[in-house]
Amino acid sequence: MHSVDFFDTRIIEGTTTSIVLDNGKIEQISVNFTKGAAVRALKGGSWGFTSADGDFDIEKAIRAASELAVSMDDKSPKEKVKMQEIASPVVSNAPKVKKNPLDISLEEKVSNLKEFGKYAKKEGISSSSAVYSESSYKVMYTDSTGVEGEYDVVRTGFAISAVASRDGMYQAGRESRFGVTGYEIFDKYNAAELAEEAANSALQLLDAKPAKGGSMPVILDPELAGVFAHEAVGHASEADLVLEGSSVLENRIGESIASPLVTIIDDPTMHEYGYFPFDDEGSQTEKTTLIDNGVLKSYLHSRETAAKLGGTPGHCRAQGHSRPIVRMSNTYIDNGNSKLEEMLEEIGNGMYLIGSRGGQVNTGEGVFQFNAEKGYLIEDGKLTTLIRDVSLSGKILEILNNVKMVGNDLKMNSGRCGKGGQLVPVTDGSPHLMISEAMVGGA
Amino acid sequence: MYDLAEKALKAAIKYGAKEAEVYIMKSQKTSVSIQKDMIEGAKENITTGIGIRAIVDGAVGFSSTNIMSYIDEAAKNAVSSAKTQDADPDWKELPSYQKYPTVTGILDKDIQNMELDECIGHTMEMIDAARATSGIIVTSGSFSRSHGERLILNSNGIEVSEEGTGISGFVDVITNSGETSTAYDFAISRKNDIDFAAIGKNAAELAKKSQDTISIEPHRTEVVIHPFAFSDLIENTFIPSIDADNVQKGRSNLIGRKDDIIANEKLSIYDDGLLEGGIDTGIADDEGVASRKTTVIENGVFRSYLYDTYTAGKDGVESTGNASRNSYLSTPSVGSRNFIIDFPNCDIVADTDNGVYVNTVIGAHTANAISGDFSVEARNAFTIKDGKLDKPIKSLMISGNIFDMLKNINGAGTDVRKVGGTITPSIRVSDMSVVG
Repeated sequence: MHSVDFFDTRIIEGTTTSIVLDNGKIEQISVNFTKGAAVRALKGGSWGFTSADGDFDIEKAIRAASELAVSMDDKSPKEKVKMQEIASPVVSNAPKVKKNPLDISLEEKVSNLKEFGKYAKKEGISSSSAVYSESSYKVMYTDSTGVEGEYDVVRTGFAISAVASRDGMYQAGRESRFGVTGYEIFDKYNAAELAEEAANSALQLLDAKPAKGGSMPVILDPELAGVFAHEAVGHASEADLVLEGSSVLENRIGESIASPLVTIIDDPTMHEYGYFPFDDEGSQTEKTTLIDNGVLKSYLHSRETAAKLGGTPGHCRAQGHSRPIVRMSNTYIDNGNSKLEEMLEEIGNGMYLIGSRGGQVNTGEGVFQFNAEKGYLIEDGKLTTLIRDVSLSGKILEILNNVKMVGNDLKMNSGRCGKGGQLVPVTDGSPHLMISEAMVGGA
Repeated sequence: MYDLAEKALKAAIKYGAKEAEVYIMKSQKTSVSIQKDMIEGAKENITTGIGIRAIVDGAVGFSSTNIMSYIDEAAKNAVSSAKTQDADPDWKELPSYQKYPTVTGILDKDIQNMELDECIGHTMEMIDAARATSGIIVTSGSFSRSHGERLILNSNGIEVSEEGTGISGFVDVITNSGETSTAYDFAISRKNDIDFAAIGKNAAELAKKSQDTISIEPHRTEVVIHPFAFSDLIENTFIPSIDADNVQKGRSNLIGRKDDIIANEKLSIYDDGLLEGGIDTGIADDEGVASRKTTVIENGVFRSYLYDTYTAGKDGVESTGNASRNSYLSTPSVGSRNFIIDFPNCDIVADTDNGVYVNTVIGAHTANAISGDFSVEARNAFTIKDGKLDKPIKSLMISGNIFDMLKNINGAGTDVRKVGGTITPSIRVSDMSVVG
C-alpha cells in the first residue's frame, strides 16, 4: 500500500506545566498542550521521516514519509537496512502515581514552591531560584509489522539553585530531583532541606581554593562517578556510534576493557527518571549489562543496530516528535564492597571530587571531560582544603582500568542527556570510586 | 495565521487579561543525515505553534499549543495562571506600536524552494570532499534547509510579521588508519552561499593533521583560539553576564561595572540585530521591539547590558531588542542577537612565536557562568613554534577566566567566522594555563 519495506508511527499527546520562582517571586507559570505524530518509513537502505503537529492526518503523514524514503532510495541507493523483528510490548510494572499532579490546584503548587524556595535564601545568598515542572503524556506506537503499544507516563520534579557572592566572587549551588512519579515526589524528598543544601554549597564555595591541575589519584563521589558511567561508558556503548565508526568500544565485545571491579548497567525498567516500558520503536525494555566485572558484554541497541550487530533492541528514544536514536535510560556502576574511609586511607594524597556541573565526551577518540561542583585535597588520608572549579578529563579506557576500589553506596541522580540535538530524561549513578591516576584540570 | 492570532488575542482579553500577546511560529524544514559515509535518510517537518502571554497586574501567565482547536483553552489557561500570581510592580507594559527598520539577506528564494535533489547534492558534496582525503570516514553529518514565518501580535498595537530562510551543513570525521583522531566542521547561513565541499575538506584535513600527537608539560603560554572554540567559551561565560536579567538578580560579574575598562583597549563587541544576512537578524526581536545595534564593549570599556522589555522597564531604560524565544513553547527571555567580536587582525599564527592553537573545546557548558571560570578539554590542538603550527597535542586542558581573558587578548586572526550567532576571528590570549 505504501510501497515501502517498513513504516511506523508514534503519537504523543500531553501537557506540561512549569512554575518558576525567582528570588522569592513567581516569575512565570506556563502550561502547554501538545499533540503530534512522528512517522518513519524505510525503503531499501533509506529512511524518510515526517512529523505532524496538532490535529493531523496520520495517513497523509505516512504517505509523505514513504515518498521521501522511496525518493531517497531512488537517488542514493544503498545496502538494505534490516529491522529486528519484535513482538508487541507488554506494559507491566508501570510506576504508580499516588498523587496525580493534574488533580492538584495551581494555587497549591505555587504556594508549595514559594514555601520551600524560601530556604535557599540564607544570609550571604545574593540570588536564588526554584523551578517546579510536571508532564503527563500518552505515547501510542504502531508499525507496519503489526506491533502496537501504548503507555502513559507522569514525570515531576523540582530544581533549586542559589548564588552566593562576596567581594566580586560568585559561586553557585544546585540541587534537583526528578522522577517518574506524581506530586508525592515532595513526600519522598524534603525540598526545603535540599534548598538549604544548595545555599550551603554556594556559601561554602566562596572559601574554596582554585584547583592546581595535574595527574593524580582521585576519589569520585557517587554523583560524579555516575556522570562518568554515563558520559564515558554509556555513550561509547551506543550501537549507532559503534556502527558509524565513532566509538572506542567498536569490536571489543567479550574483551576485558575495565578493572574487574567495574560492572555497568543500563536499566530502563527501573522506576527512575529515565524509565520507559518500551522504547520509541516499540521494543520491550529490559535491564542491559554493558560491562560485567570488567568485560564488555553489550552495546545499547535500536532495532536497526540489533539486526546488524546482533543484540537486543530497546534503547531507541526520541525527544517529542524527533527521530528516535540509540540512547541510555538509567545507567549505573554497580556496588562493590569498599568504604569511603578505606579509599581515603588507601589513596594517601590526591583529590576527592564531588558533584557535577556536567560533562561531554568524544566517543571516537575515547576522550571525556567533566566538571565537579567542588573537591577536597586529600592529604595523608584526610580531607583538607576545599577546592573549586575543578575538572577531570582523560581517556575512557585508561580510567576504566585505573579504577582500584568501588564503594558499596550506590546513589542515582536524575538529569537530562543531549545527543543529536535531542534531550531526554535519564538517571545515572554509582557508588564512590577510587581511581589510581586521572588528569585533573584547574585554574 | 493572522486570523488565529487575532482570535487568541481576543480570547485572552475576554478572559480578563489586561494586556496580551500572541506569538505564532510556522516552519518548514528539510534535513538529510549522514551515517558512515552514506546518506541515511531525509526528514521533512512542518511545525506550527502558538504561544499566548496574558498579563494581569504585571503578573505573566503563559500557555502554548500546537492544536489550533485548543486556542481558546490556551488563552483561558494563560489568564488563570496570571491571576494565580501576586501583582508585579516592576512590570511596565508590553511593547507598543513602533516603526521597524528594513533588514536584508535573510530570505533566499533558492533555499525556500530547494528540492530534495539539491539537498542530497549538497550532502554528497560534503561526503565526497571529506573522502578525497585518504584514510578518512565521515562518521556522521547533516544538511538542512528551512523556511520560517513568525507573527507577533499584542494588545498595544504591535504587529510583526516576518519570514526568513536558513541553510546549514555539518560533518564529523574520524581517521581509519594510524592514530585515531576526529574533527568536525560546519557552516550556517541565511543565504544559499555555503561551500559544502569546503566543510568536508576542512574537517578531513584537520583530522589528518591532528595525527601523530605529542604530549606537553603543564605551563602558561599564549593560546590562539579558533572561532569555534572562542564562540563556545564566550557563549557560556561572557554572554550570561551581560544579560540584564542575570544582572538584576545578582547573578553577574558585571553588576555596577558600566563604563569600567574590562577588556584590552583594542577590543570592541557589538550585539547587532540588523546585520546583513545574520543568523539572528530580523526587523524585530521576539516580542516585537525594533532591532538595533548595541555596543557592548567599546575599545575595552563596558558599555551596555542586553535588555528585553521587562528588564528594561525595571532599570528605566529602553529595550535593546534582545527578547528571544527558542520556540513557541516558551516566553521570551533576554538573549544575544548577532554577537560580533571586533579586534584588529593580522596573520595570527605567523605573529605568534611560541604557543598553542586550539580548534575546538569540549565541556564549555560546564563553566561557571557567573564567575567566568572554565576548565575545558581542547581538541585538535597544536603547538605553535616560530610562527607556524608545529605538532598536534595528544590531550590538553585549558583553564582560565573569561574576564581575565578579555584583558589578555592580544591579537586576532583574519579568519572571521559566523559560528551561529557569534561572529568572531581566531583570538589570541596571553598567559593561559595549559595542562598536557
